Amino acid sequence: MSLRQTISSTTLGDRILLVFLLLASFAGIVFIKDVLPSSGGVSIEVQGKTTHRYLLNQNRTVRVESPYGHLTVEIRERKVRVINASCQNKLCEHQGWVTRGVIICLPARISVSVGGPEKSGDKRIDATTG
Amino acid sequence: MRPQDKYRIALLSAYALALHAFESLIPMPIPWLRVGLANIITITTFILFGFRSAMMVTLVRVIIASLFSGSFLGPGFILSMGGGLSSILAMGFMLSLVPRLFGPVGLSLIGALSHNLSQLLLAYLLFIQKIEPVLLITPFLLLIGTITGTVNGLAADLLIKGLKNSQQRIQNSR
Amino acid sequence: MVLMDTLVTITIVTDSADRAEKAMDKAFAEIGKLDTLLNFFSEKSELSMVNKNAGLSEVKVSPETMEVVEKAIETSEKTGGAFDVTIGPEISQWNFVLKIKPQDESIKRRLRLVNYKLIQLDKGRSTVHLKEKGMLMDLGGIAKGYAADKAVDELKKIGITSGLVAVAGEVKAFGRKPGGKGWTVGIRNPRSTEKSDEIMATVQLNDAAISTSGDYQRYFILDGKRFHHILDPETGYPAQGCQSVSVIARDGVYTDAFSTGVFVLGPKKGIELLQSMGFEGLIVDKDGTIYTTPGLKGKIEFTTNH
Repeated sequence: MSLRQTISSTTLGDRILLVFLLLASFAGIVFIKDVLPSSGGVSIEVQGKTTHRYLLNQNRTVRVESPYGHLTVEIRERKVRVINASCQNKLCEHQGWVTRGVIICLPARISVSVGGPEKSGDKRIDATTG
Repeated sequence: MRPQDKYRIALLSAYALALHAFESLIPMPIPWLRVGLANIITITTFILFGFRSAMMVTLVRVIIASLFSGSFLGPGFILSMGGGLSSILAMGFMLSLVPRLFGPVGLSLIGALSHNLSQLLLAYLLFIQKIEPVLLITPFLLLIGTITGTVNGLAADLLIKGLKNSQQRIQNSR
Repeated sequence: MVLMDTLVTITIVTDSADRAEKAMDKAFAEIGKLDTLLNFFSEKSELSMVNKNAGLSEVKVSPETMEVVEKAIETSEKTGGAFDVTIGPEISQWNFVLKIKPQDESIKRRLRLVNYKLIQLDKGRSTVHLKEKGMLMDLGGIAKGYAADKAVDELKKIGITSGLVAVAGEVKAFGRKPGGKGWTVGIRNPRSTEKSDEIMATVQLNDAAISTSGDYQRYFILDGKRFHHILDPETGYPAQGCQSVSVIARDGVYTDAFSTGVFVLGPKKGIELLQSMGFEGLIVDKDGTIYTTPGLKGKIEFTTNH
């Protein structure tokens, strides 16, 4: 089908909607880039509650369990991935290595958030008062 | 419902299932990023045979697909059902409100949009209580939905034209 | 190390491991010494000697003890009695682990013993005398800050140019970290429920001390009401105006005492007092509203949701 034929099979409403959606999603993406989680570390949540927090700079393997399933989080060379998930579709595993963002295992209700680049030293706390 | 309607729905559902199965066999880098080819059937059904038929086809497809994959009543099922139902409802609503405004592409976009958004909402409410990852992913899903919606819509349009053509030929040859 | 019934952490920057060890030893030793002098719960401390002889006789004390009591009285004067180390008879009736709240009648009865003006000091003879029988001095609201100061003095005496001493939540820092940055101290969120929410702000300390008094440090909840350990010397009941108060000043002895006193004074009077003393501070009032002294701008950074 030529381009002209393609366009002619759309109505005006179609086209306006399409353009609007494209613009909205691009705007959203640009906005999101500024707002990514920035706590500089890996945060593991089970059923919505944060259960583990680790820094990216230390290699480790952690087994995470929930009443609905389990998986293993591997942190290596400042990247994170999920392996040995108990879920059926293994979508979480297929994500592979992640440096930023969130890996979610829905059936197990486990999520692994990887923060943005660690802020330079001054976010590190030397002591706590209170 | 007349027997030929039931027959038609069964046939369409079978096609939808086939497309769905075919699609899930394709290896993708990002697993949950599906084009949703089965929706081509859904949209075509909607336009040619109406709301009810499209609803039936969607229900049958979602239930049987989950039975086959063993995820019946699991979280995946709930999301598929939620997404499917809401997309049909949204399309129906739009069509009854402004019947002439949208063609297959527009309808498909509306369907895809509400499908994705309601899946996000369901996932947030039922499974991931943190709003952060959900909000984070929304613009990407929006973009993906727009692209796949357009593709599906165009394909449906092709299908409809093809079907009308062959019907025309059948009628002409009577 | 655990001293003064709490965790004491000392961090120093130096290029000599040998000097580091000597310095740490000296600093910890100093804190240990102060503990034996000022510990309320130890029978043998100088403080206990003074308390035992309340209404009876004066007691000779070391210069350190004298200094602490003097500065305590000074803070009492500046805070109009909101900080008062003679709160002993009241606070000793409460038990925050077993959730024991004293009877109202008992609280009222002992109020007459709470009055810093009844402390008599004789600097010439180096003695402290508590005028009324039954009076008890509790230096818990000032001793840790003082200990941090003294520990830092020891470190400096040995030649350390940069370090940080933390006696529980009383922190004193001097010098800069390698790289030129000041020491970063996190202020705890008084109502945090999960780890990610723990720190509400961070401050840069440059040759300064910080202390925090909060209603979440020692408390229990009874019938929906929170009872915490910072009592108002005027009423004998926990002060109601704030959730937490953090004070920054040059000396830990003052930050410790003033954080307690300002907590009792409440947010408005508290900020005013801090400003007039030339201190900086942050107050979280009972509704969670945050007040800061103007001089804190640029030195403090709040974490995302605050």
